Amino acid sequence: MTTAPAPARAGGAVLPSVALPWAVARLGFRRQFAYPQAALWGLITNTFFGFLRVAVLLALFGLRPQVAGYTVQDAVTYIGLTQTFIMALSLFGWTDFMRTVHRGEVATDLLRPLNLLLFWAAQDAGRAWGQLLLRGVPMLLLFELFWDLTWPAGALGWVQTALSIVLAWACGFLFRFLVNCAAFWSPDAAGFGRFAWALLGLGCGFLMPLAFFPEWFQAWLAWTPFPAMLNTVVEVWVGVKTGAAAWATLGTQLGWALGLLAVTALTLHRGLRRLEVAGG
Amino acid sequence: MARAAGLWAEVAHHAALYLRLLGVQVRSQATYRMALLLDALGTMLITVAEFAALALSLPRFGGLGGWNLGEIALLYGLAELAFVLMDLLFGGFDAPNLSAHVRAGSFSTFLLRPVPLVVQVFGSDFALRRVARIGLAAAVLSYGLIHTAHAWTFGDALLLTGSVLGMICFFGGLFVIGGTLTFWTVDSVEAMNVLTYGGRTLISYPMDIYGQWLRKTFTYVIPAAFLSYFPVLHILGRPLPDGLPPAAAFLSPLVGPLLLAAAFVFWRVGVRRYQGTGT
Repeated sequence: MTTAPAPARAGGAVLPSVALPWAVARLGFRRQFAYPQAALWGLITNTFFGFLRVAVLLALFGLRPQVAGYTVQDAVTYIGLTQTFIMALSLFGWTDFMRTVHRGEVATDLLRPLNLLLFWAAQDAGRAWGQLLLRGVPMLLLFELFWDLTWPAGALGWVQTALSIVLAWACGFLFRFLVNCAAFWSPDAAGFGRFAWALLGLGCGFLMPLAFFPEWFQAWLAWTPFPAMLNTVVEVWVGVKTGAAAWATLGTQLGWALGLLAVTALTLHRGLRRLEVAGG
Repeated sequence: MARAAGLWAEVAHHAALYLRLLGVQVRSQATYRMALLLDALGTMLITVAEFAALALSLPRFGGLGGWNLGEIALLYGLAELAFVLMDLLFGGFDAPNLSAHVRAGSFSTFLLRPVPLVVQVFGSDFALRRVARIGLAAAVLSYGLIHTAHAWTFGDALLLTGSVLGMICFFGGLFVIGGTLTFWTVDSVEAMNVLTYGGRTLISYPMDIYGQWLRKTFTYVIPAAFLSYFPVLHILGRPLPDGLPPAAAFLSPLVGPLLLAAAFVFWRVGVRRYQGTGT
């Protein structure tokens, strides 16, 4: 693995502060392409599970043309999208930061001339983008090959979908990072993580579109940030939410992203102070 | 007579060794009680979430390809129960665990110890947190048993027990094959996940919902349909697909052990090769 130096840019103090996270993100991106064979097998596994999930949904639909705003084509698209985003949005969980805390490597990371949360956000953004290109896009094309997928409607649909994906990544990353912060307090945060990832899977609409759940359960989930981490993307993509309703749901995502940012930054701050106490 | 007694003593000795290996791991995992509790809850929640997602959505649809929740719970609970028990027993052979031992060189240490290799691998990855999933699987299965309109007989209980035992052997065999493959290649073992975890998911739902080719592949090429789908069809009084005779519903206790036996033959070949390259 070659290390690319931060691209040198002439000029003011603003540019270098962007250049550094940009370089970190680029490295995070490039790292994803180190094991193409593993990616291929991962794609095959995801495809197989995708096909099983489509079979279950098609059997559920039976002869119904539409359920809870989803046509059969939308439902198949939903499966395609969730399988597409598994790796990019780390829907099965993520323990990288936890590991650096347990191993003490976090102390080295703190020496870097970059805010720790920003450092990890940049790295994860690069990782997510790499996984989306490497495994997400081929998965989507495979699904389009076997079934007709629903695609975002028009330029506005694409813009709203793209924004929703970015916000879903932000909410998801901040939540994952927050869960990883448990490592500051527990010698074995993996159990805590397992618990959180299971909640994420059900709450974000990975296992079933949230619209299929009973009203009371949806109302309950609306009080959590989980729908903002995947379900919103699907609803905007297939057009369950369009126009003003789509903007409103994007606003909700943004709200959750900001809220999670505040909580995560505060928790990290507390955790790092604890780390100092332990180290002193 | 004396030979039988000698064999029995050897089996008892190995069983004692195995239990001792488990005991060590149980003690170490029970050290952090809170962590273990959360870990167990999290492990359980993964299954709960998956089944809950289906159970919560089903009222909107009425059923799944003509199966109601109770009947699906029967299939799902059987597969989950068998897979959890298998995972507890055969976890040591699972590719990620075994390949970690191979890469770290601790597998070579196994070969040096005066304890049978298989006993050591069996006793090398016992995750206490998975015990919680047994209770959960039993709960889903009980729901299925209660909510299917059916008068239960002793024969049904025997058929279901045979189905679970067959599945334990079948998936255990797949774990052994996946583990053996790690002697040759560390990567691409993920493909085995399609058969193990994929197979488990596949048989958790009524198999007539899959396309013809998928169902036929997992009936005649990889005989997974014999494990629980056919026994459950028989109990529910439904005909088997492709005009198969009712007797096909009783083959699970045969299909599973056959695969397991074949897997251990492959394992022996693999171990021999491993020793050959190691020296």
